[in-house]
Amino acid sequence: MTRTIVTRVRDRAAATPDGIAMREKDYGIWQEVTWARYWDTVLTAGHALLALGIEPGDRVAIHSENRREWLYSDLATVAVRAMTVGLYPTNPAPEVAYLLSHSGTRILIAEDQEQVDKALEVIDELPDLEHIVYLEPRGIRRRYTNPKLLFWDDFLALGERHRAEHPGAVENRMAETEPGDVMTLIYTSGTTGPPKGAMLTVSNVEFCVKELVEAGGFTSPPPSEQDILLSYLPLCHVAERIFTTWFNAAAGVQVDFAESIATVQSNLAEIQPTILFGVPRIWEKVLASVNIKLASASPLKRLSARFWLRVADGIGDTMVRNGGSHTPGTRLRYALGWLFLYRALRDRIGMRKVRYAASGAAPIAPEVLKFFMGVGVPMHEVYGMTENTAIATGNLPGKVKLGTVGEPHPGIELRIDEETGEILTRHPGVFAGYWRNPEATSKAVDADGWLHTGDVGEWVDGTHVKIVDRMKDIIITAGGKNISPSEIENALKASEFIKEAIVLGDRRAYLTALIGIELDTVGDWAQRNKIPYTTYRDLAERDEVIELVQGIVDQVNARFAQVEAVKRFRMLPKELDHEDGELTATQKVKRAAMAERFHDLVESMYAKAGAA
Amino acid sequence: MTAPVRQRRPRQLSGRPGLYTSYAQQLRLLNTRPKLLTVSAIVLLAFVLPWLVADETLSLLGVAMAASIGAIGLNIVTGYAGQVSLGHAFFLAIGAYTASAVSGAPDDDTIGFGVTNVLVWLLAAGLVAAVFGVLVAPLATRLRGLYLAIVTLGLVFLGEHIFAEWQALTGGAGVGRPGPVPVLFGVELNSSGDVLTSDQKLYLLMLASLVVFGLLARNLARSKVGRAFAAIRDRDIAAEVIGVNLTRYKVIAFAVSSFYAGCAGALVYTITGFIEPSSFNLLLSVQYIAMVLIGGVATISGSIMGAFFITLLPALTRQLPTVAPFISEDASSPLNVFQVETVLYGLLIIGFLIFEPRGLYGIWIRIRNYWKAWPFSY
Repeated sequence: MTRTIVTRVRDRAAATPDGIAMREKDYGIWQEVTWARYWDTVLTAGHALLALGIEPGDRVAIHSENRREWLYSDLATVAVRAMTVGLYPTNPAPEVAYLLSHSGTRILIAEDQEQVDKALEVIDELPDLEHIVYLEPRGIRRRYTNPKLLFWDDFLALGERHRAEHPGAVENRMAETEPGDVMTLIYTSGTTGPPKGAMLTVSNVEFCVKELVEAGGFTSPPPSEQDILLSYLPLCHVAERIFTTWFNAAAGVQVDFAESIATVQSNLAEIQPTILFGVPRIWEKVLASVNIKLASASPLKRLSARFWLRVADGIGDTMVRNGGSHTPGTRLRYALGWLFLYRALRDRIGMRKVRYAASGAAPIAPEVLKFFMGVGVPMHEVYGMTENTAIATGNLPGKVKLGTVGEPHPGIELRIDEETGEILTRHPGVFAGYWRNPEATSKAVDADGWLHTGDVGEWVDGTHVKIVDRMKDIIITAGGKNISPSEIENALKASEFIKEAIVLGDRRAYLTALIGIELDTVGDWAQRNKIPYTTYRDLAERDEVIELVQGIVDQVNARFAQVEAVKRFRMLPKELDHEDGELTATQKVKRAAMAERFHDLVESMYAKAGAA
Repeated sequence: MTAPVRQRRPRQLSGRPGLYTSYAQQLRLLNTRPKLLTVSAIVLLAFVLPWLVADETLSLLGVAMAASIGAIGLNIVTGYAGQVSLGHAFFLAIGAYTASAVSGAPDDDTIGFGVTNVLVWLLAAGLVAAVFGVLVAPLATRLRGLYLAIVTLGLVFLGEHIFAEWQALTGGAGVGRPGPVPVLFGVELNSSGDVLTSDQKLYLLMLASLVVFGLLARNLARSKVGRAFAAIRDRDIAAEVIGVNLTRYKVIAFAVSSFYAGCAGALVYTITGFIEPSSFNLLLSVQYIAMVLIGGVATISGSIMGAFFITLLPALTRQLPTVAPFISEDASSPLNVFQVETVLYGLLIIGFLIFEPRGLYGIWIRIRNYWKAWPFSY
């Protein structure tokens, strides 16, 4: 029988039925789910899918925040050899229509009224959609009359009946699983054009589990039942799927679901996870919140924190030179600082027990990573993408090189194309192609099986890989100079006051930037400096704020070469948003959409005699 | 085939005080290790104290502990349930006289039944006081705030008159009668033995009683009843709307409160050994109000802190003449310690109400939060 994520959960339920598989906060209590209950629910849900006529290869979509039912549905789908399609909770109705119709989804698991409404709004475009199973009955049950709607409890009851009538049906279907079965479609965010559905097979995922979980490619030493992690990033993204579903099934890591993305910081403090994965935005936000809270602390606390953060900075510097390991000197300084600041600080930000922290999915400024290293959070940048099941490179404890994404995982092939500088990978984790898009597939994977990542990289010291930028984002100035905008953007975003920075200048004489402020921090700063403001736009366009940003831009410019200096910038008049089509579901800026939307702003920066 | 699904008992993860996997964990009295250790240390210290300090101090501490029980009682009705009561002195008197009557010598001038077992007369004192509490409670269902305070004030004056006149029970004004006679498991607690002096024995009795009464009150406060009290205090109409039976819970509040007051009265006068009827006056009620306000409204530990503060205050003011010679120890002089004491009560109550409405307990919370929030301020 083929080993899958599902058989792993089954085996774990047999071996440690009373062990904790996951927790979710309900009525103020972290409700525990044991492995036995997890497996039992997966089986029932699997029977329910069979009862609704799901055949091998059918698509089941899940449109929900991270919660227990996400995992039940995902595993039940894989158990009956169907494919899971994850939707971002923030996907607006038109995108929901595209994803559901493109994937040909037959059953949609929708979280609540909000998500059900999105699907119902476009239901006429979705001839394949047969059932919508909703998890939260509020506002739906006994109000909506669409015959396709089915409440989760009724769905499970259906499964129970099917289970009683056809015992073993799900297990029989599972036994037929083959390594080549596609188990999930992961739609990539698509900064250009519509999202593409990457097909990951059972063997892709098994290779990923072997490399990243069992061999400890991401977390070394490898994760175990003693580890605890918080699940808060969208589960339809490959990174969170690895950390939540696959770490859980393969290594028995206890997963705790955050109440929402807004409560992550307080949930972190409650859960105190041992393994923590975050995207740059999360780390930047934690850093900004530390700075805000310190700025408004009482004088003694502020003085102490300022001193020990300076010490932490020194510790971080030394550790960076030392591959991320402590030296006796930093150990001593850390021990003292632990008493006065680091222990309490880490406790407050929920990282007291973090033994391994990782940043990935987007480039991050090295200063941010250094801060976390300095206060004692072992931070590692990792690199991977959906198309290679996130298997590419990772920094390993003791061998960290700041500014790089680490070394290629053992047993995989990774090379950098001599001509284009593009990073290519080849290993069993390379995906089976894009769903219903052979053209894009042939562009991504060449005849020799090399995956073209679209990222430009270079070797550092022959062992570590440094990502320069996305290939299509590289700016070639009018002077013919190649510039990586993301490096400059991240240097800008490392400031707690700047949330978005978009560096422009392709085929132009000089670089310019569109800058979006971080409302919380700048608002706090304005309040402390007695600058009155009303809206986001009003605040962003205040002279004092522009002056503040100018200062940050000047600082960043000083660190880059003359041609890489940002000559002019403009403030974004609004916060960028997924629903307005400015950001992707993973909060990445859609450059094309931005250039179009803020065309006037951009042109004003390149106007001849314009006042800067 | 159905897999056996068992329910396991939730357990707490180490080092994660915020991760509650059951309501029982969330409601635990000593929910963190530091709290458990500190409370154990304090209780342990209190139990070895009789061998460490002088007997006079012990008897003073004993009175403070007995007063703590009374303060806890007042805090239940006034702090938790929000029913202002100025009649606490009346319930203390009921307890004190019941206990003395039950335990007093039958052949004495005053009423006495000769049952000297502490457990018996303590329970009797509490129950009789509780009965009076239940009789008063219906007033509270009709009145609130200032009106209730005035009515309960009336109780004190009624009591003062009755106790002054009922000489068979109280010995009459200016004469008084002996306090309750404490015998526990055949040991006479109010006379020194071979092992322990009477002060040590009484101190231990008070300490044990305080631990028991304190725990009971703390448990009551976090139970359904306690939450009903808090609901009534915060807004009685809203409480009624969400299904709290006002009459029932106000009666419970008065009954429990007077039960505590009765027991406290009995215990206090066991130590002093003599009851003077005129001492159950308005000032005594005000002292207990001061304990609650200075200690901390709606907290058990605050009640104890307040009671200790108010009980030990006279001992401190008596020392004043040595540092400030213009204050006299003679009650007939223009500025004497007794006047200073009264002035201090007033100033303290005003000061606490204005500057630290949550009392001594509030000061402690402030200190705790300062360190708990480190390195931030909130």
